[in-house]
Amino acid sequence: MKKQSENVKDRPRTSGRDFKQYKYFRPKSKEELIRIINDFQKDLTIIAGGTDLLVANYQKLYEIKNWLDLNLLNEFKNIKMFDDKVEIGSMVTHQRLSKLDQIKELFPVLHQAAADVGSPQIRSRGTIGGNIVTSSPAGDLLPPLLIYDAQLKIISGEGSRVVDANEFFTGPKKNILKEGEILEKIIIPLKEEVYRGAWIKVGKRKALIISSISLALNLSIDRSNLIKKARICIGSAAPVPLRIKTAEQAILKKELTEINIEEIAQIVSEEISPIDDIRGTAKYRRQVALNITRKALSEVTNQ
Amino acid sequence: MKITLTVNGEKREVEVKPQTRLLDLLREDLGLTGTKEGCGKGECGACTVIMNNKLVASCLVLAVQADQSEILTIEGLNCQDELHPIQNAFINKGAVQCGFCIPGMIMSSKQLLDENINPTEAEIKRGLSGNICRCTGYVKIIDAVKEAAHKMRSRGEDDV
Amino acid sequence: MSKRYVGKDMLKVDAESKVTGRAQYPSDLKFDNCLHVKIKRATYPHAILKDLDINRAKNIDGVVDIITAKDYPNLNKFGLIIKDQDVLIKMGEKMKFMGDALAIIIAETEEIALKARDKIGVEIKKLEVITDPLRAIEKDAPPIHEDLSGLCTDYLKPNLNQKNILVDHYLKKGDVKKGFTEADLIVENEYRTQHIDQLPLQNESGYALYDDKKDEIKIWAASQWLHDTQADVAQSINMSKEKIRIIQTAIGGAFGKKEDVSVHIHLALAALHTQRPVKLEYTREESMIAQSKRHPLIIKAKTGVSSNGYLTAWSVEVIGDTGAYASSGPAVVHKGMYHCTGPYNVENIEGTSYAIYTNNTYGGAMRGFGTTQMAFAYESQMDILAHKLNIDPAQFRYQNAYITGSVTPNGQKLGKSVNTKRTIESVIDLAKWEGEINK
Repeated sequence: MKKQSENVKDRPRTSGRDFKQYKYFRPKSKEELIRIINDFQKDLTIIAGGTDLLVANYQKLYEIKNWLDLNLLNEFKNIKMFDDKVEIGSMVTHQRLSKLDQIKELFPVLHQAAADVGSPQIRSRGTIGGNIVTSSPAGDLLPPLLIYDAQLKIISGEGSRVVDANEFFTGPKKNILKEGEILEKIIIPLKEEVYRGAWIKVGKRKALIISSISLALNLSIDRSNLIKKARICIGSAAPVPLRIKTAEQAILKKELTEINIEEIAQIVSEEISPIDDIRGTAKYRRQVALNITRKALSEVTNQ
Repeated sequence: MKITLTVNGEKREVEVKPQTRLLDLLREDLGLTGTKEGCGKGECGACTVIMNNKLVASCLVLAVQADQSEILTIEGLNCQDELHPIQNAFINKGAVQCGFCIPGMIMSSKQLLDENINPTEAEIKRGLSGNICRCTGYVKIIDAVKEAAHKMRSRGEDDV
Repeated sequence: MSKRYVGKDMLKVDAESKVTGRAQYPSDLKFDNCLHVKIKRATYPHAILKDLDINRAKNIDGVVDIITAKDYPNLNKFGLIIKDQDVLIKMGEKMKFMGDALAIIIAETEEIALKARDKIGVEIKKLEVITDPLRAIEKDAPPIHEDLSGLCTDYLKPNLNQKNILVDHYLKKGDVKKGFTEADLIVENEYRTQHIDQLPLQNESGYALYDDKKDEIKIWAASQWLHDTQADVAQSINMSKEKIRIIQTAIGGAFGKKEDVSVHIHLALAALHTQRPVKLEYTREESMIAQSKRHPLIIKAKTGVSSNGYLTAWSVEVIGDTGAYASSGPAVVHKGMYHCTGPYNVENIEGTSYAIYTNNTYGGAMRGFGTTQMAFAYESQMDILAHKLNIDPAQFRYQNAYITGSVTPNGQKLGKSVNTKRTIESVIDLAKWEGEINK
């Protein structure tokens, strides 16, 4: 047995530390952020909570050249209450959303969905903005944002724009964000009507699981006890979080007790476009969509 | 990049690369190997530490992001020869098998009990939901957390 | 039964070191001047290795060397029961599953080793990938191991492809034909189980060091078979056993997965090659790809029962997917067959089992060693039979349960400690079962 191959090279000169120029930006203000974006927009990897990014780049983090870390942007961590809206900074974590009484009171579905994300370790880091921008069809906060008619404020070197959350997602992990654009905050309008909502998440485990399918429901009830606005949104069962508009229409202008639960459940089950993947078959998802729609509607009508 | 952080009460100044994870910083640079890597993807909880009073998976936090932070690892839990009540309870209740999940389990238990000294069984399960024990010693782990909570409550009363 | 320990709370000697984080698992050790090892693995589950281009990888600053089969042409195959696994795939030979090692990359840092690994060029000629054991035993299926044969018995059915059958086993007790004639009801079903990863929380990992004064290789890595691993490492690299020391650290779970050699031989080679301390740690993904799984079994069970609910005959065919290598396969599939009737008494039994090579990750040991898969089949059979006979399933199990003096399928007369009936009684209590059983 030969002991030492002749072609073993001498100890190299690398210190094993820094053999490549990396940049790590940690802007503290919006102005600083915009400046960095303008200078580097093509080569920036943006990190918020990191709970998706570090997983996706496991063992190849060294390939990332220029990091843009949003964690020191305190103004992106604010939750501001107004008479007609609530503004949630994109860097607000799931943990905060799931622990704030105001969120629980105003947007119980969002509150509950945030509490169902991952595990304590994930909720403490993962952010609402990250959940939106990652745009996974299984993103747990997305159906709740759609049922509350949330809007997204996007900023860039050229200014800013506000878009409906419902218009934001274009496909699995795809959205309308252009290079150099950053999600600054989420704006959720406040209405005077009474909300009746439900959130159901189905996965293979109770914690730390990507949803096989999820449902967010919100009904606005006007003074004469009629449903003024209905929102049903299904996650993980289409390329994007999907509002079931036919079902929403079918509920309108009715009293809660008049809802034909079977009919609505049938519509939801038919209108989603699920696929077979490791989290479940399309057939399974259609059946579960039916079941959870029934369950959610029974919950709200009995509230 | 140079960062400053407090680890287990001690101020540390370290040189890190942007891609260095908090887990690598603790294990490789600071030699705190009590924090384990089981998956590297935030699924198993073996790398759990407490950062600024929050539970984090140190495999999903960049070392740079721990700049100016306060970190508590399993090594910082017991002072000198005295074990923390949670550590004692894990020993007494037979909650330790292969032991690889235990540092993470204990850190999650610590965070849970810091927030809620009288948790229900459901709350304990939720508090530990980010930690996997493949020896499947969950029953005894939950027993241990209950015992630790009990001890810590009565100790708190003694102080009063 | 020892009264000193059984039923008492005993403090574990290593618990304190584990709750304080002081216990040292393989990856917690530290060696100065240590090199990092990564493995370039197969790029296709079944293919001939045509070319391996390591030049680009080798030129990366910080890469110490890359070992391929060419550097060590005399390596021997290894394996727990049958030595059928290559340390490194030779040029012109076949990779048989995605875990096969093509090259050992040794570098100054883990990052450099990873970069180098991804720069290695692999040229292959693809072959038919066999993932279904039923395909593997068809006559026209290509043999996965060309050089292995003669392990099958004379009993093997002639219509099966011997080349991909690792071993076959047969079981006979009583007169199964007679038993089925006596049966009032016969139920026949096929059950399939899947690959399961043992998933110990700590991945395969270790260090090795070559001591040139003693001409000895020390390996710090977990093993469930310390001396077998020592012997296997020694024979694979042609050193005597005395020259290999396996040092057991704390083990972060194993559940059967760490019975097989994992990092050991590659570490030994790298340590010998560089004469520096070397470290190799699998990622979770790598552990899933390269190390053993619970065997998926196809279980064809036929059970005969009398109208008053007594089992008269049981026949079983067990087809085990052992994947690309034998590992514990011959024993697991064999043992599974012996457990075909579980804890139930049957006079007339016939069984056949095959462990079959495929291009899947190899099956090995996991908690229960073949019996858990069988339990799925026999308990399902029992439920179906009870349902068809309209007998309470607890009663049906109880009246067929082993008692002292029962004889197992492989002819063992149970002399003592036969607690099946007591167990069923406890289960009935604990489950608050509503049915009545006749004791």
